[in-house]
Amino acid sequence: MTAIAQQPNANPNSDKVIYAQPSFLERLTAPFVVFLRGLSRNRAGMIGFIGLVIYAVWIFIAPLFVPFDHEVRLDQIAAPAGSRDQLLVRAADASTYTTLASLAGKTVAVVAETGNEETIQPYADTFTLDETRWRSGRGVEQAIQKLQSGEVDAMVIFSEQVKKFITNNPDYTDLVVSNPELGPAHLLGTDTQGRDLFTHIINGGTTLILTAVIAGLFSTVIAVVLGSTAALIGGVVDNVLTAIANFVLTIPAFPLLVVLAALIHLDNFVFLAALIASLSWPVLMRAIRSQVLSLRERDYVEAAVALDLGLRHIILREILPNMMSFVAINFIFAVTSAMYQQVGLIFLGMAPINDYTWGVMLYFGRTRGTLFSADSANMVLAPVVAIALFQVSMVLFARALEEMFDPRLRTSN
Amino acid sequence: MATQAQPITTDLNPTPPSPSGILVFLRRIYRNYTVRVVVQSLVTIWAVITFTFFLIRLMPGNPVDVYIDFLMNQQQLTYEQARLQAAGQFEFDPDASPVSQYIDYMGQLLHGDLGQSIVSSGTKVIDQIARFLPWTLFAVGLGLLISFVLGISLGTLMAYNRNSVLDHGLSLFSSILSAVPNYIWGLLILIVFGVELKWFSVGEMRGTYGSDVTQGFNIEFMLSVLKHAFLPVLIYVMGTIGSWMLNMRNSTVSTLGEDYINVAKARGLTSRRILISYVGRNASLPMFTLLAINIGFILGGSVIIEELFVYKGIGSFLFSSITQRDYTAMQGVFLIITVSVVVSNLLADLLYSRLDPRVRVGGDK
Repeated sequence: MTAIAQQPNANPNSDKVIYAQPSFLERLTAPFVVFLRGLSRNRAGMIGFIGLVIYAVWIFIAPLFVPFDHEVRLDQIAAPAGSRDQLLVRAADASTYTTLASLAGKTVAVVAETGNEETIQPYADTFTLDETRWRSGRGVEQAIQKLQSGEVDAMVIFSEQVKKFITNNPDYTDLVVSNPELGPAHLLGTDTQGRDLFTHIINGGTTLILTAVIAGLFSTVIAVVLGSTAALIGGVVDNVLTAIANFVLTIPAFPLLVVLAALIHLDNFVFLAALIASLSWPVLMRAIRSQVLSLRERDYVEAAVALDLGLRHIILREILPNMMSFVAINFIFAVTSAMYQQVGLIFLGMAPINDYTWGVMLYFGRTRGTLFSADSANMVLAPVVAIALFQVSMVLFARALEEMFDPRLRTSN
Repeated sequence: MATQAQPITTDLNPTPPSPSGILVFLRRIYRNYTVRVVVQSLVTIWAVITFTFFLIRLMPGNPVDVYIDFLMNQQQLTYEQARLQAAGQFEFDPDASPVSQYIDYMGQLLHGDLGQSIVSSGTKVIDQIARFLPWTLFAVGLGLLISFVLGISLGTLMAYNRNSVLDHGLSLFSSILSAVPNYIWGLLILIVFGVELKWFSVGEMRGTYGSDVTQGFNIEFMLSVLKHAFLPVLIYVMGTIGSWMLNMRNSTVSTLGEDYINVAKARGLTSRRILISYVGRNASLPMFTLLAINIGFILGGSVIIEELFVYKGIGSFLFSSITQRDYTAMQGVFLIITVSVVVSNLLADLLYSRLDPRVRVGGDK
């Protein structure tokens, strides 16, 4: 009640009390302020909430600025984090040729079909280009020898190739890297096709998280509809619905999903979400059923029944609003469990992989063996961390909501 | 139907006015808890068998049709020849109607016959399953046992120290453990400890036992088995321990508020006696319902975990039979996994009813 503060009176002679009218902005933000104030009591929940906000920005806004990298680069296969193109010159020229601009009018060696071409793009017209073909890496060595013999003045070369050919090689002691930071760095390294992993991590969450959210939504809706129907109508309907729920609950969901995915051609993500939801509703349905069973004993529901307001009105207007927090919390848990099923299916290669998601990165990490080499472990480690942090944020947030709405669960105060 | 408000006020279990004699008899049997859960389990198994049968045989684009197509293309057979060969492999009579095929199939199942493997011809699916199933049951069982004991102990510890730093820390820890999918933990462990830190060799941990030991009842073999099962078991423990801890904590906290605990204290019983005989016994009862859920979860998840660690159990066999389009094996393994889950749920239910007589007496709701 103290929220409506008693303003100091504009006219001291008047004994009329003027209450401050909340401004439009205040009215708009009030629910969020109350929500955040409740959340701030729970530190873990706050962290989870901030995490989810970051993920929302990450999957909806970041892809607009960081486009997906489709470019296949033969010299950058499974490179570690921080790798980039470098400038290789003869030791004598180390201080002369340090940038691409300083090479105007000279001859520069690059290897075709690699990331080199992108790096020199802005300066390509200012110098003469000497291009060798990749030829399973032999082209790089060829270009290095040209540089050594003086045929070209400098060479654009990827840092991994420097490590492979130049470092600790007594044949090439007369060559030095004059500019180790020529091209843009790959923040997380590259995948097995030389594509930038950072852009994949930025773009790879959208479909995955949307599918999980849709699956969670489907399963929550099915659970609420069937659960409240079973509890309100009772009798045979109740028995049948409960029996179906128990039956679906007993079948191990994941193996069935794998079997179904093998038999049904899954080609779009809404269908995948529906399939996941069709197996995951029973737990929540039984919880909703017992909630409604207790809610329907309340006076206001009995009044609605007496007034014959209809099942739809009773569910939507009387019962659902009173268990909204319960439904919302369980929706979050449904999303995390859909994420488990979905990524598991993709990881095994049983779900559509048209979109390059975090799950697909795991799948390729497993099937192409990058899992077992420390240099390329990022291809698996990055999506693993992305998925893990998303799940943790969701669960921390849901647990905080549980405590907010159910004071009995509060551990402190 | 949707707008009918009248049944809401009716009783949950309306008793029919005058049941006939046989109905009374059946109802009395059904009231018996043990009989009821056994019957329910059998019905579930039957329903799953029926469901998979029709899924595999009758769905458009079903495996039998796909296999017939495959044979026609691959071995230049006519449709009739291919159909006969497929029928031999799937062990069904191609001329019979779907219903009599179904009855035959059920008869075969009752004899423990799951058909022949398509890929490795001449091998019975049931023999393949017998080779892989024990390993999964061993790893899953060991994982469940460890996580149950550890989770219950830690949960009790949290409840006794509620609202302390320990409680908050362990709560957060268990939330995070259960939030992250178990195969993601597996990948993390493989990469961080196996690949980056090189604490163990990823290649050596594969399989169910080392190639250098002789299978039998000797100490090297058993050590090798334990070593190879270590990672899957660790993941099963990590995946489920969080739920044990949180549930046991809450259950213990509410048990500690019960009157009989106060009475026990007033009687001057040692705190050790109260912990074990009064708090522990009562607080751990609800954990047995969780047992059923966790068994299904672990057995289901074993498909990914075993594939990840190349542990040759039933889960990795299911996956390989799917990728090789070995539909008879797939059908058989799926049935076995389902039956394992149903039977373990049944055992958990029966155990629970032994420990807590209220379940048996409490009737049907």
